Formats: sequence, C-alpha cells, structure tokens
Amino acid sequence: MSEILALSNVSVHFPVKGGLPFFRRGVIQAVSDVSLTVNQGETFGIVGESGCGKTTLANAMIGMVKPTAGQVFFKGVDLNGLATDEFKKMRRQMQMIFQDPYSSLNPRFNVYQIVSEPMFIRGEDSEEEMKARVVELLQLVGLSADDLYRHPSDFSGGQRQRLGIARAISLNPSFLVCDEPVSALDVSIHAQILNLLVELQEQLNLTYVFISHNLADVKKMCDRMAVMYLGKIMESGGSDKIFKKPLHPYTQALLAAVLDTSFDERREQIVLQGDIPSPINPPAGCRFWQRCPQAMQGCKTVPPDLVEVEEDHFVACHLVNGFPDVPLPEGFEDPVPKQDSQV
Amino acid sequence: MKQVLKLRNLKVVFPTSYGLIRAVESVDLDIGDRECVALVGESGCGKTVTSQAVMRLLETPPAVIRVDSIEFDGQEIKDCSSKEMQEIRGKDMAMIFQDAMTSLNPVMTVGNQIDEMYMRHQGDSKKEAREKTVRALELIGLPEPRARANSFPHQLSGGMRQRVLLAMAFACMPKLIIADEPTTALDVTIQAQVLKTLRGMQQGCGTSLLLVTHDLSVVASIADTVYVMYSGKIVEKAPVKELFTAPYHPYTVGLMAAVPRLDDEKRKFTQIPGTVPHPARKPSGCYFHPRCEYAREICRKEMPPLQSLGGTRKVRCHYPLTAGGESHE
Ligand SMILES: Nc1ncnc2c1ncn2[C@@H]1O[C@H](COP(=O)(O)OP(=O)(O)OP(=O)(O)O)[C@@H](O)[C@H]1O
Ligand SMILES: Nc1ncnc2c1ncn2[C@@H]1O[C@H](COP(=O)(O)OP(=O)(O)OP(=O)(O)O)[C@@H](O)[C@H]1O
Ligand SMILES: [Mg+2]
Ligand SMILES: [Mg+2]
Repeated sequence: MSEILALSNVSVHFPVKGGLPFFRRGVIQAVSDVSLTVNQGETFGIVGESGCGKTTLANAMIGMVKPTAGQVFFKGVDLNGLATDEFKKMRRQMQMIFQDPYSSLNPRFNVYQIVSEPMFIRGEDSEEEMKARVVELLQLVGLSADDLYRHPSDFSGGQRQRLGIARAISLNPSFLVCDEPVSALDVSIHAQILNLLVELQEQLNLTYVFISHNLADVKKMCDRMAVMYLGKIMESGGSDKIFKKPLHPYTQALLAAVLDTSFDERREQIVLQGDIPSPINPPAGCRFWQRCPQAMQGCKTVPPDLVEVEEDHFVACHLVNGFPDVPLPEGFEDPVPKQDSQV
Repeated sequence: MKQVLKLRNLKVVFPTSYGLIRAVESVDLDIGDRECVALVGESGCGKTVTSQAVMRLLETPPAVIRVDSIEFDGQEIKDCSSKEMQEIRGKDMAMIFQDAMTSLNPVMTVGNQIDEMYMRHQGDSKKEAREKTVRALELIGLPEPRARANSFPHQLSGGMRQRVLLAMAFACMPKLIIADEPTTALDVTIQAQVLKTLRGMQQGCGTSLLLVTHDLSVVASIADTVYVMYSGKIVEKAPVKELFTAPYHPYTVGLMAAVPRLDDEKRKFTQIPGTVPHPARKPSGCYFHPRCEYAREICRKEMPPLQSLGGTRKVRCHYPLTAGGESHE
C-alpha cells in the first residue's frame, strides 16, 4: 500500500477582515494542525458538520489554498515548493467535484464547453480529439452524445453532478476530491451518483477523498476516514475500526444522528445540545468540550493529542487517552455541569 | 377523528412554452386533529405546489388551480378572499420554509419578530408578548432565551434560526403547520435537534402538522401518516409503521431502499433505475412503469386507480406488493 498524499501538521487560517472597530481582529482557524495520509487506490472519508473545515482542507490538499503552516506532499513532492508550471502539471492529476451542482457549472456554456474546458486550457488536443473524448466521458457518466450542445439549466441536479464528474475526470487524474457530491441532491439520486463514483474508481484506478456529513454514506464508500470538528481531527483511521468501535464522543453522536427507516430497533438518540462554536476564537482545550456529554473540567483547558490507540485508529480525547503529563487544574477529572457546557 | 384539513381533487397546471405541466393531478389529502402527515417524493413531484395550494399561496397565473374542496377546520376556504386568507394564515395556519434566513426579517431582532406575532394575533401588550416569547424560545431549547431574544438573525447559527422559525410558527397555537423541507439545509446533528423540537412542540401544543420532504428517514422519525407522491399523483397512503414494515407500491420500496443505512454491509448503494419523467412529457399508463421492475402490459396502458387496501391504506398500483416483496396476483 503506497501513500499518494500526506499532510503534515497543516493549518489554514483566514484573517477576519473589516468588522467593527471595537472588536479585536482575529483569525478564523479553519484547519488546525491536521496530519493524515491517503493511500493509493483507496477512498478516504472526511466527515464533520457544516463549517468544520472540510472544504478548506480539501482545497489545501490540491494546492488551491496555501497552508498557513505545515506541508502537503503529493506523490512525495511538497506542493508548495513547486514552481508555477510544475504545479500546474501536478494539478492535472488532482481534480475536484464540487458540493453544489447548481452553481458550480457555468450556465452560459454548453455541455461540450463545460466538459472540455480543462483540455482546452491544457491546449494539447485538437478540436476533434476533444469532441471524441467528451462523448466518451459523457457515456462513462451515463449521459449521451445527444446532450453535447445542451445547457446546464436543461439538466436535473443529478445530471448536473454527472457533468461535474465528467469534467473532473477529463484529464485522467489519479486523485479526485469529492466535496459532498450528493448533499444537494434527492435521496434517490444519491445512490446513482455514489454508485457511479464507485464504478469509475474501479475502472480508472482512482484515489478518492470523499467529503460528507452523512456517516452512512461514508461507511459504504470509504476505506479510511477522519472525523473533523472545528478544524481539528477528533478520530481517524480505518473506517471498519471506527464504525465497529467509535471512541470519540463526537463520532458517537454523529453516528446516533444518522436517521434510518427501521422500526424494529429504535436506536437511542444522543441529541447534541448547542451548535458549533465560532472558529474565530475556538475553545482553548478540547474543541468539542462545550457540546460533549462527558466533558471533564480538564477538557476546558488542556488540548488532547491525536493518539494511536490500535493499529490505524487514532483518537484525540482525554476520556480515552487520559490527561497528558502537564500541569493540570484542580479537579480536572470532575464532570462539567450541564448549564456550563451549552454554547 | 376530527379532521383539520380535507383536500379534495386538487389539480394544478402550469401552461409553459414547452407544454402543459401537470404539477398536481387529483390529489386528496386528509389531516386529522393533532396528526403529523408527511408528503414524500422526489424533487419535482409536486409537494411544494400541493402545500402552497392548501395555503392558497400559489400565484395565479402562472398556476391554474382546480379544486373541489379545501375544508379547513370545518370551513370551506377555496373561495375565501385574499384578505380572509391572510387572516387564517396568520392565526390558524402557519408555514415553515426550508430557508430560515429568507423567512426572517434581517433588520429586526428575533424577539421583536416573535413579539409581533403575539401582539398582532392575540392582542397582547408588548410586555405580555415578550414573556411569551421568552417562554417560546426556552421551549425550543435556545440557551439564555431572554438575552438571545435580542439577537439579530445573522447572529444565530442555521440550526438556531430554524428553531426560531418553529417558535414563530407555534406562537399563535395554529391548528395546522405546514413545514416544507424544514431540515434539509441542516447538518445531521442539528437536524436531530430540530426534529425533536418540532415533534415535542407539535405534541405539546396539539397542532396538526403537514411535513413536506424527500427524505424517508425524516418521515420515519416523526410522521403518523404518510402520503407518497410520484409525478403529481398520490401513489400510496399508509400509517407510518405499516408503510415502513410492508410497503405496497414498488416506488415506496425503491425510496426506502435508497436511504443508506449504517447496518448495511454491502458496498453498493441501492438505487431506483431511471429518472422522474419530465412533467410535460409523462409516460402512458402508470407514470412509474418505465422504472418499475414488476411492470406488465396493463401498466403501460392504463393508469391504475388509487384503491383502498385493508384498513386506512391506499395504493395506486395494478400489482401491489405483499409484505414479502412478492407481487399480488
Ligand atoms: N476564503 C475564506 N475566507 C474566510 N473564511 C473562510 C474562507 N473559507 C472558509 N472560511 C471559514 O472557514 C471555516 C471552514 O469552512 P469550510 O468551507 O472549510 O467548511 P466545511 O466543513 O466545508 O462546511 P460545509 O459543510 O458547510 O461545506 C468556516 O468558518 C468558514 O466560514
Ligand atoms: N411557476 C412555475 N412554472 C412552471 N412550472 C412550475 C412552476 N412551479 C412549479 N412548477 C413545476 O411543478 C412541478 C412540481 O414542483 P414542486 O415545486 O411542487 O416540486 P417539489 O416536489 O416540491 O420538488 P422539490 O423537492 O425539488 O422541492 C415541477 O415539475 C415544477 O417544475
Ligand atoms: Mg464545504
Ligand atoms: Mg419543494
């Protein structure tokens, strides 16, 4: 199993612009100190709630945003150490499918123009070659040559997402980031698009990073995964291991929040209180403590490390790993009373 | 059971340049007292148009509406003037839209917006209204409700805004609330919060609820009765538990299978083959037949009637399935 992508202590911070004069200017810590590896040919899942930094992390992976700190290695090469034209070449091997099929396609372009745009920019193919390739791609994603001159507005959401996929694989990438490819679609279309992704992966030998907030999708799609909360990884590793034995209270809550249609065994619902706090001034200790049903006093101030608890299973939680060997506040293992913890 | 809503033979069409769109075709809908009724189906099947027709919110034109009866709380409202309707909508019927940000006034604090509901519809003084607002915000689980009442919508998160909308909808204790995809834009954990709040408030206030959604897992967690809609027609109606344990219509089976489950070990996702027909070019016979694995000759020719099948269940299918998934002869 060889590694295709590695992140080493990657952070991405955005400055907060403007704001009111009496507010301290801050930074949004969209991604904080993330390290992970993605292996050749696998699907790596990233899960977490809205705003936790999934898209930002994905953009950092393919060099679309520059990390504030840390490094991104693709096939062993540090992306940010590359000269512009070398980076462009490398970038062709890494493509992205976007979250919103309604706004990610240019409405004035027809299907041919949309799908051939990456080839057009590369500028190596003749018009005939491009047309033949586009027809081939359309068939691959379940559309047809008849659709060549139609516009995005003529297509349903699921069909638009197919166009986005055709475009993303047009340059034969080896690495594809799928950013919530089905979140904006109907349940019945979910399955069609996800099955298409699985088929393409087998045919074209692709490596996927699959971003989602639905754990049921991730369970089916992914070999390995990371659970993110407020810019940090809470739990990561082999998805079999995580689904069999979720250790972080946040992972457990996400699992409990997956609704299904069974009536025989109603699962116990852990409904998380409160909402995700602002990433501008994230909590000092564990970022999840305010919503954690099992938070302890020490969790407020001592940040947990991501520790390997079994082979390829990492978790960042004091409940699992115990507190580190640092000066700890009095009563650090006392539970946090309920009214303190809501955000 | 007392009926809160009795809709009979609703038809809505949109004449367009590329043909007549029959968005809703002869839909009947019954909502009982304190009942939560779900209307489910894929995008474009006519859920929103149906619910807006009930509230008389559809613009005519472009819509052309024919309906035999809209009986709301014992009163025929299909011919009410727009002024009378406005009165009813504020007081006895409320609507929760998918996008909370656009349904709230951005330049008014959420507290003042809810106060206004009480002042306008229950004749409360500002002070009485605020007390009720704080209680309502507490009920929907907003921490520090008295302070939070002074927040503007943009200062709240998506889940909080959606719950503020719930508080507003329930403020006047309406008889019926129509919620169109109330949780679709929300994260899974927040969705769980909002659904729990919605169910709790509905039971606590004795309100009836019409829930519009494409997600059967949401239906399973909250509805009492389910109507499944396909391409403008009701194809199945059943009490929620019966629907999920023994669906009759092949489309319902397909929708259920499409919800990914955590306890499923297969790597493949179950899908319904094909796509929804274009609303201006619906197929002959049963609209679902091109996607149905059980379709036979008659299904291609004749639209099946919505037949009653045991107790309160209804199904529009020539060969409804039995509990084992086998086709009835
Ligand atoms: N260009 C930017 N400038 C400033 N802040 C940004 C920028 N991009 C993202 N952010 C902020 O960084 C945080 C993480 O955003 P990101 O889009 O990565 O989240 P996400 O996990 O993809 O969420 P979603 O599920 O809603 O897509 C958010 O608080 C967001 O507001
Ligand atoms: N103003 C309009 N003009 C023309 N057609 C319309 C108009 N409004 C709705 N329609 C059509 O009526 C049909 C039903 O639409 P409706 O919005 O009720 O679907 P829905 O079931 O709510 O779908 P979704 O899940 O996407 O919200 C669709 O085919 C739609 O294109
Ligand atoms: Mg995103
Ligand atoms: Mg709708």
